[in-house]
Amino acid sequence: MFNRTAIAPLEYTRKLWMRSWVGLTMLFLYAPLIVLMIFSFNDSKRNVVWKGFTLKYYEKALSNDSLVEAMANSLTIAFFATIISLVIGTLAAVMLWRFRFPFKGLVEGTMSLPIIVPEICLGVAFLIFFAKIDWPTDLPWPLNLSAITIAHITFCFPFVAMVVRARLASFNKEEEEAAKDLGATEWQAFRDVLLPHIKPSLVAGALLAFTLSLDDFVITFFTSGPDTITFPVKVYSMVRFSVTPEVNAASTILIILTVALTFIALKYQGVKGISDAH
Amino acid sequence: MDFKTFLHAGSNRRAMLKGMGVAAVGFSLTGALAGCGEKEAAKLANGEEAKLNFYNWDTYIGETTLEDYKDKAGVDVNMTLFASNDELFAKLRAGNPGYDVIVPSNDFVERMAAADMLVELDKAQVPNFKNVAPDYQDVPYDPARKYSMPYTWLALGIGYRKSKVKSVPDSWKVLFDSDAYKGRIAVLSEAGDMFRLYGKYMGKSVNGLTDADIKMIEAMMIKQKPNIKSFHEDNGQDLLLKGEVDLVLEYNGDIAQIMAEDSDIGFVIPKEGSQLNSDNLCIPKGAPHPKNAHAFINYLLDAEAGKKITETILYPTPNDAAKALMPDDYKNNQVIFPPAAVLAKCEYAKFNPELQPKYEEAFTRVRAA
Amino acid sequence: MSGPLQDWKSQRKPFAAVASAPVFWLALFFIAPMAIVWLYSFGQNAGPADIDISGTLDNYKRATEWLYLSIFLKSLAVAALTTLICLIIGFPVAMAITFAAPKWRPWLLLGIMLPFWTNLLIRTYALMALMGTNGYMNKGLGGLWEGASWLRTLVGMQPLEAWTPVQLLYNNFAVVLGLVYVHLPFMVLPLYSALDRLDKSLIEASLDLGAGHFKTFMQVVVPLAAPGIVAGVMITLIPALGAYLTPDLMGGTDSQMIANVIERQFKRANDWPFGAALSFLLIYAMFILIALQSMRSNKVKELR
Repeated sequence: MFNRTAIAPLEYTRKLWMRSWVGLTMLFLYAPLIVLMIFSFNDSKRNVVWKGFTLKYYEKALSNDSLVEAMANSLTIAFFATIISLVIGTLAAVMLWRFRFPFKGLVEGTMSLPIIVPEICLGVAFLIFFAKIDWPTDLPWPLNLSAITIAHITFCFPFVAMVVRARLASFNKEEEEAAKDLGATEWQAFRDVLLPHIKPSLVAGALLAFTLSLDDFVITFFTSGPDTITFPVKVYSMVRFSVTPEVNAASTILIILTVALTFIALKYQGVKGISDAH
Repeated sequence: MDFKTFLHAGSNRRAMLKGMGVAAVGFSLTGALAGCGEKEAAKLANGEEAKLNFYNWDTYIGETTLEDYKDKAGVDVNMTLFASNDELFAKLRAGNPGYDVIVPSNDFVERMAAADMLVELDKAQVPNFKNVAPDYQDVPYDPARKYSMPYTWLALGIGYRKSKVKSVPDSWKVLFDSDAYKGRIAVLSEAGDMFRLYGKYMGKSVNGLTDADIKMIEAMMIKQKPNIKSFHEDNGQDLLLKGEVDLVLEYNGDIAQIMAEDSDIGFVIPKEGSQLNSDNLCIPKGAPHPKNAHAFINYLLDAEAGKKITETILYPTPNDAAKALMPDDYKNNQVIFPPAAVLAKCEYAKFNPELQPKYEEAFTRVRAA
Repeated sequence: MSGPLQDWKSQRKPFAAVASAPVFWLALFFIAPMAIVWLYSFGQNAGPADIDISGTLDNYKRATEWLYLSIFLKSLAVAALTTLICLIIGFPVAMAITFAAPKWRPWLLLGIMLPFWTNLLIRTYALMALMGTNGYMNKGLGGLWEGASWLRTLVGMQPLEAWTPVQLLYNNFAVVLGLVYVHLPFMVLPLYSALDRLDKSLIEASLDLGAGHFKTFMQVVVPLAAPGIVAGVMITLIPALGAYLTPDLMGGTDSQMIANVIERQFKRANDWPFGAALSFLLIYAMFILIALQSMRSNKVKELR
């Protein structure tokens, strides 16, 4: 709080009240997580009273094959769902942004429906659908995750479309026309002019899709079978009965993994250019 | 649809790299695991693969039961978890996604049998049936045990904190009809169970409620609602342990588990009687390994295996042979095995397709009041 | 801003290239499953596991009874309150990130997003551990109370009465807090995005012309960030309306929200037709909300 330079009028973030506000918000967001991490070392079968320090739940979590498998399944599904959602969502955004066609309003509306349908309704819908068309249930890994992945893509790609469309709104068509005048084909114009412009929204969309897929459990619950358990579904069935520190340990591991990977990515990427993708 | 300006740049390139990095790690991890798990499963003598998909409640198995079974029979048991009967039913309703053995409660055994979702058990493949206590060999919800084998049984009652109650709460009145412990009570959120227990409190059978009864009970519940802190979803024992509430409507097995951690906890089955439940082992139609399923069920009914399971979960067991092997403090535990006089007043709930929706609607009204 | 829309007929091949995948996916993997459920809403249970699609409107009639409408309105109120609180908390945070030095910006954004990557259920349970009767929040408040009491005795006044823990859980307060906790990042990101594209020279100009910070904020920043605010509100309100885990776990006896009722129909009550009817009514309502907003923004575009 000792300012070496005076605070400029627009440097709101250096003002004390702003910092306190953000600080309190961060405290609010992180306090439960910190509690969760502390309780992962709790030496008690139930999570409610502190009984002593132990690392045994970390051992349990890491050696719990089904938990590790569930985490791996979740990551795999999220990976594929993100990529395919990105493709379909971008195509949808371009379609809506560029073309006029019959029933456009209807298509636009329908595309936003997966976001507003209550998850349990969508989950049941998929359950019945896959049962009725006899979707095979004994495929080898990773194909057996296909049902879940399809469901995830369906509710992720509208988000991607939304994000990309917002970005497309600021694209100057003349740039694309100029490229075509200079001899580029449709595809080249798309790849070399349009795509770079929307890259930040692609990244944002991918981030969003990845998060939504990783944490989803209602829809995944209804589309998963005995061999295709994901992390949220597994945690859900574990915590209903009793919240053991093992679950906390697994979550802490996941958090640490996430943070570590982010640091690595940051170092690799360099902090420059993070916020200047205007 | 016009959501202008949503996300913009910011952390995103780095974050995407992170996302990809995490996925890459996950991918390689999974690849390693998949390499381990996808070896061709050996064929057993009975012609099925050496695999079994077991759909069970969480922590509802012994610590080493699955490994022991693998050593004994060479079958790899893949246990996945569900958290409530409704989930089990909802998942299986549209078709069996590949489960071999499931563990529904008694009223769901009835329901699923009525919906033709269960395989009739071949008793010849389950010789350990003889270990089952005579009381449980023929039950109202599955006459002659056509579709199920008993796994555990339970009774509902009142768990309480001894230091916080004036006297032992031996009547349902404390939970259902009095403000003596205002704000310190938790009851079940399961509509059917609640209505049936109120019926017991009123002196009726759990299966004999009429429309007029339902209306009256609904009014009573609404009157009592301000005194209730929470409608818990089967984690009442945690609430009691944490000190959130002092009285809770819960199963005897759950309370017995926390009594081991906190000696200030007590349990009682009220004098008006209560409801009995039982969790059972069944084989759903369309199970890919029915012979393995029978063999596994037979194993779970074995005396030694049953003892190991009971040691871990501490629920009442219908397996007499296993019970005989348990230590005395288990066999004589009044909470786990309530005295016969008390049990005489307890009944099983019957699955009633007409009454169930009425209970649900009435309970929705109670919760909205 | 981006030129006129092209008619699809003039560019069939590119149109087919971009349109085929999304439309096909939507048709096969969204419309088909939802159509089945929609048909169910006109059916009734014929036995524990079968549904007979009889074309009845009974389910819709039942879904519009006052009992369910009142629950829906209550859910709307809770979701609206949550959104409002998220907006009030989130706007300064978004501003802080926008005006932060570039080297801090990614860290702040990451800070907001990171809790998002933890499993929702675990986060909720952790929050509940803090808020319980014997949880740390109550312990903290109790400590403050005792401290105040001790100070009073120092000054010669009567000490305060003994501390009884405040009930922070199992009531509507907890539900709103929990929903805010879950949805805050959803609000901050679109706000940041809109503020980020703001032309900062406009703020400088306003300040130069003598308007105070607050006036500048209300009359320059907020109107310019309006699209971001609208996006954030939509993205927070709609999921909050459909939330059922948080009210289920943290709510009290009268914290039942519409999504809980729907969930119960599909699970406990095993009444899929009725659950379908309730879901579709909810969908229609939300759809109308969005359509209204969309129409308004189009009108605004025309006026400009």
